[in-house]
Amino acid sequence: MIAGTPLWRRLPGSGRLAVFLVGFLWLVAALSPFLAERAREIRLDERLRPPSRAHFFGTDDLGRDLFARVVVATPLSLAIGLTAAAVSLVVGFALGGLAGYLGGATDLLLSRLFEVVLCFPVLFLLLALAAFLPPSPAAVILAIGLTAWPGDARFARAEILKAKDLDYARAARAAGATTSRVLVRHLLPNALPPLLVSAAFGVAWAILAEAALSFLGVGLPPTSTSWGGILSVAPSYIEDSWWLALFPGLALFVTVCAYNLLAEGLRTATTGRN
Amino acid sequence: MIRYVLRRLLLAVPTLFGIVVLVFLLLHLAPGSPVSAMGGESGRRVSGRAAEEMRRVYGLDRPLPERFARWLGRVARLDFGESFVDRRLVTERIREALPYTLVLNGLALLLTIAIAIPLGVAAGGKPEGPFDRASGAVLFALYSMPAFWTALLLQTLFAVELSWLPLYGVSSDEPPSGLAGFFDRLAHLALPVACLTYGSLAFVARLVRSGVAEARATDYVLAARARGASYRSALWRHAFPNALLPLITLLGLILPALLSGSVIIERIFAWPGLGRLYFDSILSRDYPVVLALSLLGAVATLAAALAADIAIAAADPRVRDGAFAAP
Repeated sequence: MIAGTPLWRRLPGSGRLAVFLVGFLWLVAALSPFLAERAREIRLDERLRPPSRAHFFGTDDLGRDLFARVVVATPLSLAIGLTAAAVSLVVGFALGGLAGYLGGATDLLLSRLFEVVLCFPVLFLLLALAAFLPPSPAAVILAIGLTAWPGDARFARAEILKAKDLDYARAARAAGATTSRVLVRHLLPNALPPLLVSAAFGVAWAILAEAALSFLGVGLPPTSTSWGGILSVAPSYIEDSWWLALFPGLALFVTVCAYNLLAEGLRTATTGRN
Repeated sequence: MIRYVLRRLLLAVPTLFGIVVLVFLLLHLAPGSPVSAMGGESGRRVSGRAAEEMRRVYGLDRPLPERFARWLGRVARLDFGESFVDRRLVTERIREALPYTLVLNGLALLLTIAIAIPLGVAAGGKPEGPFDRASGAVLFALYSMPAFWTALLLQTLFAVELSWLPLYGVSSDEPPSGLAGFFDRLAHLALPVACLTYGSLAFVARLVRSGVAEARATDYVLAARARGASYRSALWRHAFPNALLPLITLLGLILPALLSGSVIIERIFAWPGLGRLYFDSILSRDYPVVLALSLLGAVATLAAALAADIAIAAADPRVRDGAFAAP
């Protein structure tokens, strides 16, 4: 890391592009309420119309404007991605940090726990959690967060392990700081840059996971508009309505790309490595 | 070497036990019992006495520790009981679905390796060169593409618009015999295998690329070139092995990713494999099947990771002599 240079200057070009993309997506999300009315309007005489000047992305199986629906789904996807990644990061940092900081038997036990959870195919766990919780945004966030945390935990453990015997941590301990205080006030800020990278990848993954769950019909309830939910009707009309699959998926793809690019940019900026 | 293997095996025992406990807890503490699911699926209500009877038959009325002990004993004998859905043995249903998933994922894995390694070596040979930049951008895009979206797009393009490949299924309704039948099945495999391949492709290729890029600047590769080794040979014989160890680890970890991908891909392509079986069982709350598949998936992952660790120790004396701490 080159000390003193602002983060923006250290971001590679692709990372700056990602910042703009993510900003744009949040702008779309902020403006989306203006299209809420249009997204809800069911017109059975306008079913499955291909893209036209009146409907940029065509219409869906109920004659709703697909462009409006894709836009309206944006805030939900972004918010779920962010909160689910936050859940994963908090759980992961708490357990991984404790394992790394305390070491010994605690570390051995917790590390086995991370290993156990990591052994399961991610989607197996995700489906089991999502299907057995009542369908709601909170349940989806919880399911994704509780599936993703072991990765963050291993990461946090390694970071804390590296930093815990550095002088500043020892000084804090010598001054009488409690374990949680040393972890949160002293070690966490130091581990923040790499955790931020992990979090940005986590957001991309969580957005994908939510879309996959909603696509499979065990994510958000059908009443909420989400990209995965819109995509879930696409297979039924694949013979003639390609736009139903193309546009919501494109929005999802761009969003995931933006967060992945952001994560890679942040990694380059904070470690100098590619 | 033997000591190292024994140590790794011993470390795997608590993990294995943890897997068994977690699988059991996850499903038995979950809300929504199979009894209510049976009533709910068909729209019928299961009356009080019938529900009681069902709970007794399936042992759901026993206390949790007792159910766990009984389950553990049966699992040790690979007896997963009967499916709630059709009363057939769970092992039988799994045995039916397993070959489909093995063919799908086996082909995807082979294809991944066959494409990713040459790609990664070529890109890593000239880091930041035009090929590296181009392949890096493409791989990044592939990595960010949701599999279910790609699957839908490929279906639209190749099955609907071009009519080159079938939309879904394992074979045609009346599969031709002989060689034509083989090609019929191959055509049905093409799209699902492609969808499973492209995601892991990016992972493997980037890993190989960074290993080769790192090694190409080292003294030993330079020395090989100085001794007259060709560019190709320096890259493949001297630089590529540097990427081999992390590659083995990654391949050991790729199994759960493939199984995860299988759930979505098998559903879209109506492929009667394990992923599809798992998803259907989750929806119908078919506990015995879900428990068995989760357990088998996790144990297979553990075994693959273990095999990878041992393979690395066999390949690299520094690991088995403990110069590197085992993870």
